[in-house]
Amino acid sequence: MSDLKIINLVKNFVGMDRPAVNNVNLKINSGELVAFLGPSGCGKTTILKMITGLFAPDNGDIVLDNKSLLPIPTENRGVVMVFQNYLLFPYMNVNENVGFALKMKGIDKNVIEKKVREMLDLVKLPDIGFRKPKQLSGGQQQRVALARALIASPRLLLLDEPLSNLDAHLRDEMRDLIVTIQKKLNVTTIFVTHDQEEAVLLADKIALIFDGELQNYTSPKNYYEQPKNIKAAKFFGGVNFIKSKKINNEFISDIGKINYVGENINDLNDEINITIRPENIKLSKTNDFDHNSFKGNIKSIIFSGTHTRYKIIINNLELECSLQSLGIKNINQGDEIFVHLPKDKIWGMND
Amino acid sequence: MNNNLKKINVYAIYLGALILILPLIAFFINAFSFRWFYPQIIPKELSLQAWVRLKLIPKPGQRSIEGFLDLWTSNPAVIKALMNSLTIGILVTIVSIIIALPAARVLGLLNFRFKKLIIFIMVSPTILPPIAFVLGLNINFISLGFSGSFFGVCLVHLVPIMPYVVLTMTGIFANYNPDFEHQARTLGANKTRTFFLITLPAIAPGMVVAALFAFLVSWSQYLLTFLIGAGKVMTLPLLVFSTASSGNPALTAAISIIFIFPAILILFFTSKFVSGESGATSGFGKI
Amino acid sequence: MGGERLKIILSLTPPLLIIITLFFGGIFYGFLQSLGYQPAIGKYDINFSAYYNVMFSERYSKLFWTGLGLNLWVSFASTFLAAVFALFGALAIRKTFFAKTVCNFIYSLNLPMPHLVVAVGMIFVFSQSGLLARFASQLGLINSPGDFPVLVRDKYGFGIILAYIWKEAAFFFIILMSVLQSLGENFEELAQSLGANRWQRFRYVILPLVMPNLFSASIIVFAFSFGAYEVPALLGVIYPQMLPVMAFEFFLNPDLNARSEGMALSIIIALIVMILVVFYFWLTQAKIRKD
Ligand SMILES: Nc1ncnc2c1ncn2[C@@H]1O[C@H](COP(=O)(O)OP(=O)(O)OP(=O)(O)O)[C@@H](O)[C@H]1O
Ligand SMILES: [Mg+2]
Repeated sequence: MSDLKIINLVKNFVGMDRPAVNNVNLKINSGELVAFLGPSGCGKTTILKMITGLFAPDNGDIVLDNKSLLPIPTENRGVVMVFQNYLLFPYMNVNENVGFALKMKGIDKNVIEKKVREMLDLVKLPDIGFRKPKQLSGGQQQRVALARALIASPRLLLLDEPLSNLDAHLRDEMRDLIVTIQKKLNVTTIFVTHDQEEAVLLADKIALIFDGELQNYTSPKNYYEQPKNIKAAKFFGGVNFIKSKKINNEFISDIGKINYVGENINDLNDEINITIRPENIKLSKTNDFDHNSFKGNIKSIIFSGTHTRYKIIINNLELECSLQSLGIKNINQGDEIFVHLPKDKIWGMND
Repeated sequence: MNNNLKKINVYAIYLGALILILPLIAFFINAFSFRWFYPQIIPKELSLQAWVRLKLIPKPGQRSIEGFLDLWTSNPAVIKALMNSLTIGILVTIVSIIIALPAARVLGLLNFRFKKLIIFIMVSPTILPPIAFVLGLNINFISLGFSGSFFGVCLVHLVPIMPYVVLTMTGIFANYNPDFEHQARTLGANKTRTFFLITLPAIAPGMVVAALFAFLVSWSQYLLTFLIGAGKVMTLPLLVFSTASSGNPALTAAISIIFIFPAILILFFTSKFVSGESGATSGFGKI
Repeated sequence: MGGERLKIILSLTPPLLIIITLFFGGIFYGFLQSLGYQPAIGKYDINFSAYYNVMFSERYSKLFWTGLGLNLWVSFASTFLAAVFALFGALAIRKTFFAKTVCNFIYSLNLPMPHLVVAVGMIFVFSQSGLLARFASQLGLINSPGDFPVLVRDKYGFGIILAYIWKEAAFFFIILMSVLQSLGENFEELAQSLGANRWQRFRYVILPLVMPNLFSASIIVFAFSFGAYEVPALLGVIYPQMLPVMAFEFFLNPDLNARSEGMALSIIIALIVMILVVFYFWLTQAKIRKD
């Protein structure tokens, strides 16, 4: 069991006009793989370093299994971080690198040797134990770093952009390896990335961070269908936003009245943005939808292989719709068209 | 480049090298010959006389191991000066490295206010001449009772060495990634072990070079030792200077050879590290 | 953040303390003495008469101004010539050839060599009965030692300049080699492909690239040769005399009044070095701004 709770975490640096980490709250359940996602400089590494104890937070608490980590020195926290650039100790060979954590615990040499072999097998790198880090490829170094981190069975594994230094092909392979091992060992893991696709493919949950603030913390699927705010929706490729006003329990927008049944309907303010994925919009030359159907004009058509993107103007509002290229009837630029926003596919956001 | 030019170029280099080692050749001929009179180029007679007179080599007939030991343990002036030079150099080097280590780390890794000013203060002894401070300091040391003492000489040697060591080690830390230490900490190493297992091996090569050259700075110090030592602390450079002034070429050459021996040795072992960029050379103007 | 500041302060204090108390303290105390403040002989008044005496009194002024002239001449000449020799050496030695490592070692050999020994070496090589005079005699160029030009302990400072060239050329050489090495040959090859001949490649490619390092090395060498004692003490004459030697002799003078003059002289030397260094920085900064 290793539940992690981050409570009101704040960190300031000299020379920065905003906090590097601003009042972040989140809870990670035992065995989960959580991605910290956000642009460069948003504070991801800083949060990880506070969890390891390399930085002391200015405010807030970090609690692992109902016990605060803050008074515990780094080396006793059982929290292992794998840094962005692997940082294999250059003058130690692979065996010594992987065995480092056990040596620090004063464990018997033979036990270490055996355990090192196990770990190297786990990351699929047998037979390179006596090489120096310099003699390894980037992918191999990454695996060694992973083995080194996992050998002492950490309570928490922190991976700082583990894939960013690898080429595309290796990245897929490593990603699969990380998920497999994480599930196999059931180690609670935080994984930093600025690539949303990577986060979606890997994570059970994604914490989206901008400028030191947590924007949204939920499952990858929800980022597409039920984002918390426009920023989060945009980061995941959302393009359609319809400003709406709540009047007498109905949502009125520039394009007309919108029928809304989303589960968060009671939490919504009077002024909201309604969003819908381009793939979920339906088009028809005739008005054959029973609700949320609006008349507009095709502004442009972009063919992109399997899908075709349409930009449609409805009353000055532009919406984007993506349809499978196969089986499209003759829709042309300038055509009048009916646009359908299915009520179970639209989502309202307060900001 | 055409071939002829290339040849001329290479011969010019050889000629330059030959000219550069002329003094060295002269040292050796002077030190190992007897009555090397003008205008001879090759001495008529090789001899160890100078070394015998300096009591470094026993007289003919006593050149057994015991003979050497007896002679050396009788503590001749050269051996005494050599030991003084060595002790002062090693002591001062170790102390300056220990003092410089934390400072260099801070200067190399962190940015803070007044950093430029602090570096400026640190480097000033490498630019301003020693005569500017040592005359005043001498009077001070006399009143403090440091003058003429071994301790006082060590203390004054710190002035040219400290800036040199701080600067070169700052350069080392500027190219150093402290995340290696962080990595070790998260893997369960405490601060002490992290220092010895991670930090030290990473900075050791640069540090050894810095230390060796710091030692040479102390080893070559004449003026500071002469003034603060007040004639009571005899070191090799003082001996070389007084012998050279008294004008016996054979003795001067022999002592000089002892004096330059560590310099050549150190250059030999460090030549692959020594480069203007590493900063390890920036203090050489002071030797 | 507070912890970090404390760490910075604690780490920097020991070396700063050493330099401030010993180095700046020494300068300050010397300055006080140069003003005539000498409690040891019961003098507490403060005036600039020592400075005046050194520079303008009938007794010392000639010694001082010729000394200053000699100082400037020696420092400029030796810095410039050492840099030029090192530049040619470094350019020549870059290409591979037989025994390159050995030559490289010999060219760097004077780097760790004490100045004192280099000065002694100059006596052995350049004096009228030195190695070169012997060669000249064997070749029939001179008849007696007196025919050989006076190159050490001469009144023009040739011996001193030779010693500094010998020693500092190695310093320049090491710095130039590392710059040239890090540059590689790409720039030159590029320039060659653009039609630059050998001289143009040197003048417009290599020289501007090595200039910044050459300049900062020169300032160190210049400042050193301006204020150093050993070499002029061994290789100089009584008149004209370089300023550091003069200051030292004043200081050792049994007449304690001369001590103030010695201190004044050492402060003047430091001031001149400082002014020249500041001027140099101003010059390079101005040039950087202009570029
Ligand atoms: N030790 C430090 N001192 C001062 N500022 C720092 C320090 N470490 C990080 N910062 C600043 O804090 C902010 C967040 O940095 P952090 O390294 O956490 O970003 P990140 O999200 O990991 O970015 P990246 O994706 O580039 O790794 C940045 O603006 C950075 O400049
Ligand atoms: Mg980061």
